[in-house]
Amino acid sequence: METKFNKLKEADKRNPFTVPENYFAQFNKEIMDRLPEKEYVPPQTVSLWDRVKPWVYMAAMFAGLYITINFLTKDTETPLSSSQDTFSAISEETPANNYWSTVHVTEEEFYRYLEEQLVDDGYYDYMYNQLYLN
Amino acid sequence: MEMINEEQLLEELRDPRTGRRSFEKLVAEYSERLYWQIRKMVLSHDDANDILQDTFVKAWMNIDNFRGESKLTTWLYRIAINESITFLNKKRNQNNISVDDEDSFLLNTLESDTYFDGDEAQKLLQKAILTLPDKQRLVFQMKYFEEMKYEEMSDILGTSVGALKASYHHATKKIEKFLSEPR
Repeated sequence: METKFNKLKEADKRNPFTVPENYFAQFNKEIMDRLPEKEYVPPQTVSLWDRVKPWVYMAAMFAGLYITINFLTKDTETPLSSSQDTFSAISEETPANNYWSTVHVTEEEFYRYLEEQLVDDGYYDYMYNQLYLN
Repeated sequence: MEMINEEQLLEELRDPRTGRRSFEKLVAEYSERLYWQIRKMVLSHDDANDILQDTFVKAWMNIDNFRGESKLTTWLYRIAINESITFLNKKRNQNNISVDDEDSFLLNTLESDTYFDGDEAQKLLQKAILTLPDKQRLVFQMKYFEEMKYEEMSDILGTSVGALKASYHHATKKIEKFLSEPR
């Protein structure tokens, strides 16, 4: 039998597919047996402390910041002359100051020392390049 | 058929005391509609039955994550369509079927389907529909057989109304061309 129709309007819109008898009633019953059990998770109660914790932490942080800034700005507000006096008094007494005063190095010795240091550095650089960069 | 109050049903579904009973209501309400949507995509009754089961199991497991941004029906349709397309792609991959052979794969399913009760003309129309790509086939079936509104189709498929209208237009042209070919 040759079947030809040019327009979709002529086509039969009825559903040509079928299902076994009582399929949907059976399906609806069977699917319920196949559903897995779900774990019931009770809603979590959030304590008052947990709710305010972030705010407390933030307040503590700002308080700490305020105290630090306050402390630092107070320190610099002290009179400059008195602090300078204290510094000079201390620096005169420090052993480090005494140490440098006892070292006597001539200009020539100082340049030789520098040259030796540069030669050593150059050697280390050369070895490093040989070992790791090649 | 909007006999079910979706908002109330959703509330009951999320409640562990009433969830299972409400899901039974949901299955009874939507199983037939979803079945036909799936069946027209995969053609075989057995495959449609498996996909419908998977659809409801997925819905059951994910109902708590459903935010109600779309209608419950739309959400269920989306799961069913995704499952159908995944099934078709898997089947094609398993059988190493290229895109050009798609219609022959589904055509064999149509020919061997014992639950097909149509006449020669209806079979020819089904063959014509099988020449369309999956998404276009879906659009054509939703509009032509189910007479769904473009707006609803747009929600389900996530495609604009304009694109759907264009897709349906192309689909009808292709089908009419197929039907007018001498054989």
